[in-house]
Amino acid sequence: MRRKLSKIPNYIGLALFALFALIPFQYMLATAMTPLSYSMPYPPILVPESLYFGNFVEAWNANHFSQYFLNSLIVAAIATVIIMLVSSAGAYAFARMQFPGREFVFYLYLFTMMVPTVTNLIPQFLLMKDLKLVDTYLGLLLIYIGIGVPSNTFFLRNFFLGLPKELEEAVIIDGGNHWQIYWRIVLPLSKPALGTFAILAYSNVWDEFLIALTMIKTPDKRTLPIALRLFQGQNLNNWGLIFAASLIAVLPILIIYIVMQKKLIRGGAMDGMLKG
Amino acid sequence: MKERLIAMLLAIVLALSLAACGSSTTGNEPAAQSTSQGADQQPATATADPVEITFWHSYSEGEEKIFNDTVLTAFAAQHPEIKVNAIRMPYEGLDEQLITAVSGDAAPDVIRMDLTWVSQMAKLGALECVNGYDGFDAIAANALEGSLNTTLYKGQNYGLPLNANTTVAVYNNAVLAEYGFDAPPATLDELMGALDKTDPANDKYLFCVSGSYNWAMLPFIWTLGGTVTDPGYTTASGYLNSAATVNALDTIVSWYNDGVIGPAIMGEQPDGWGGIEAGNYTMFVEGPWFFSSADKLDTYTPALVPSVDGRSISIVGGEDIVMTSTSKNKEAAWTFMQFMLEDEQQVAMAGAGMIPVTASAMAKIDTSASPYVAVYMEQLKTAEARIPCSSWPTIETILNTAFESVLRGQASSQDALDNAAAQIDELLAQE
Amino acid sequence: MASSKRKFMIGCQQWLKALPFLIFGFVLMAMFILYPLIRNIYISFTDFNVIKNEVTEFVGAKNYLDLLKDKNYLIAFRNTLLYALVTVPGQMFFGLILASLVNSVRKGQTFFKVVCYLPVITSWVVVSLVFKYLFMSGKGGLINYALMQLHLIRQPIAWLQSEWTANVVLWLFGIWKGVGWVMIIYLAALQGVPSEVYEASEIDGAGAVRRFFSMTLPMVRNTTNYLLTVLTIGAFGAYIHVMMITEGAPLGTTNELMNYMYNTAFSTYNIGSAAAQAVLMGVIVLILTMIQRRVSQDQMN
Repeated sequence: MRRKLSKIPNYIGLALFALFALIPFQYMLATAMTPLSYSMPYPPILVPESLYFGNFVEAWNANHFSQYFLNSLIVAAIATVIIMLVSSAGAYAFARMQFPGREFVFYLYLFTMMVPTVTNLIPQFLLMKDLKLVDTYLGLLLIYIGIGVPSNTFFLRNFFLGLPKELEEAVIIDGGNHWQIYWRIVLPLSKPALGTFAILAYSNVWDEFLIALTMIKTPDKRTLPIALRLFQGQNLNNWGLIFAASLIAVLPILIIYIVMQKKLIRGGAMDGMLKG
Repeated sequence: MKERLIAMLLAIVLALSLAACGSSTTGNEPAAQSTSQGADQQPATATADPVEITFWHSYSEGEEKIFNDTVLTAFAAQHPEIKVNAIRMPYEGLDEQLITAVSGDAAPDVIRMDLTWVSQMAKLGALECVNGYDGFDAIAANALEGSLNTTLYKGQNYGLPLNANTTVAVYNNAVLAEYGFDAPPATLDELMGALDKTDPANDKYLFCVSGSYNWAMLPFIWTLGGTVTDPGYTTASGYLNSAATVNALDTIVSWYNDGVIGPAIMGEQPDGWGGIEAGNYTMFVEGPWFFSSADKLDTYTPALVPSVDGRSISIVGGEDIVMTSTSKNKEAAWTFMQFMLEDEQQVAMAGAGMIPVTASAMAKIDTSASPYVAVYMEQLKTAEARIPCSSWPTIETILNTAFESVLRGQASSQDALDNAAAQIDELLAQE
Repeated sequence: MASSKRKFMIGCQQWLKALPFLIFGFVLMAMFILYPLIRNIYISFTDFNVIKNEVTEFVGAKNYLDLLKDKNYLIAFRNTLLYALVTVPGQMFFGLILASLVNSVRKGQTFFKVVCYLPVITSWVVVSLVFKYLFMSGKGGLINYALMQLHLIRQPIAWLQSEWTANVVLWLFGIWKGVGWVMIIYLAALQGVPSEVYEASEIDGAGAVRRFFSMTLPMVRNTTNYLLTVLTIGAFGAYIHVMMITEGAPLGTTNELMNYMYNTAFSTYNIGSAAAQAVLMGVIVLILTMIQRRVSQDQMN
């Protein structure tokens, strides 16, 4: 009993953190549930005055929102899976294999994380054009994967370095090769880490605006961030609608996270981070 | 650790040396090379097929509906030989899109763009000069001068004005009555007469200047007698820093300091939209989009910017329609541009709140359906354009900085405007 | 001679084995990131016409020298350094406390994890917009309203209209957005520590605070080093929050490097200068990362 009581300050601390994390979302929700208003309600509200969902309905039905939403779901899901597969394979090579110039190639990855990519749009577009992949999801996916790979390779390499080698040695004694180690030992052991980074990769792709707008020309193929910008552009000052649209956009990631969170990083499997 | 450092340094050295190789072969960059090949490979269109042109716009959903249903349908009927592929683009990022598309030889043929972008895009070589096209002179003669001037770069026109807007005084009827007015006052002096009825301590101000940026400030500066450049847009010295302009800016600063106008000018609350709705302000100066929903006219009244010494001068905004220099179907593009300037189309788009840019179309607008449009059209007749200049984004920053620094008390009007005028002169000279 | 040839053969064999693992990721990275990046380094020494996609003239170090004279760039530089100096330790400090708290309880662990991770997975654009309105000036802003109700301030603060309060809002945003991620990473490290170790020290009567400093901190030191690298890179690269919350206002005093670079590239189309800014930033982050690694290496030895 005393042990339980002694946890009370901890819960108070946690509640404070949770409060700070939640207030902006609550503010969004309360505004989104307020009927048409060009000025923020005064006094500011955190609890909606009524259960009004009109803004959500209007947002969902406007500007091809629902269609772009589905497009984004598909693009982000495929990109995430491939980013994680490609990054983990590369990270495995960096963590477990010997080859000349390994450090150099690895630092090349690290270097690309440090130099900002604001001005890359035009060369990326020209490359896509040469590959005849403008206005295709394949082209868009290739760029997203190229962008996602360096940082995830970096994260996962650190993680793999910390995995115990004993299991792998057993596979080698049985005559297994690197592919088997990677596929049968390393990947299953890394599920929590893969999940954590996959969520971030997913949310990066889910949010990406400029590349999607540049590479995709057919309006029907556009992704959700474009719908959101179209939306903000024509509903200046209509905060209820804008926040309603934004909240809908947050939902998928939230759901994926809640579903996956049990599998996310936990337990001793994260010793890998310690080798950073 | 030492090895790692060496590896990192090697990475940089390699990167630099690769870059150096790049420099000797710029002309043959694979990307650039095959881009031009791509252009050659464009299949020749068979004569029987309609020519397809792509049109980028950033109409809102409602405007797009009228454009698609009325304007595009009419065009398809009149010009079966041309197919228009109209694509709605978000306003945000449109300039990046255009730059990328032009450099990648994948630009649309025709674009509707904000008028302040035209001279800059023209300077970059992205746009086609239209002075030599058939029928240009007739359109130019019919167009409002303030709007036509927005397509200028080095004295040539790089597009046509498409739709105009400006800002007018918008009054909250209830506050107007509370301050003893039956109708919006015509002059600023009349409006100032109600000053004793305001209560700045309780957020009740006489009117609102929506910000310290040029779009919000210039209508007041001009109306108070100030100027930015000479009429030919060649020099700012002697205009922007003239006694009249300094006096105009000082007047606005004193309004702010004395609580005549609210804190919105500094970007603080209550802002224009919120404050006019909540009754903090009698009046603010805003564009026609304020009246996007019909019921607004029940509560608010538009009127000309209250005049000073007979002057009521607002600012020209709106969109121009331009042709890209890389268009492969320039004749078809021009046909479409001309079509958009015809009275029928101008009137049709006025139904979506787009104010026409030609005198003949203006005369045909039935203002009984949307009474506020009449006020905006009236205000447009005297409205002035911002400097049509390829360095406008920089000039804009200079002006905004000058205004804001004076309002913040960091500089005197004379010093700030002297400084701004000198910088703008330099930019105009480079044009 | 023979041995070097042998070595070469072995190297080739090793590469053949590693290549299938690396090739796909490396090719995409090289095409879409590395190639533009190297091209960027070249462009930074030129005057570049963005429309024709060609170099107008080679200008040497001019773009770099101009930057060092550009007062606004230097302000952006200062702000980025401050942003990193405040938000990186801030995220780590609160993230570690949060992780320890989450780790210390059994019931509701999942709930607190999800809630605190929410800001991490939400779009930068959306939450930036919300912050802008939370910190609205006047009585109508939620933060001002709350502070006034609590009688902490008498007059509403114009948060985003003056230099330092606006920067503070950006810092708060950076910390708020990142704490959840730091928490997840630290939590993993903490959960790797056998709970017996904690229980033993509890029986020893070590106070919570002492335990934190004498046990927890040393145990997560490697994680701390790793986070330091990743968060520093992140702090230098962030820009959406500036673009959405302050747009550099008032008078450019809240610009940060990335935001400034973005404007240089896409509002004045000075691609050469933007490229130079990108290279400078890469070099700065590289140096910082190396110093960090050096220091942490020394600590461990």
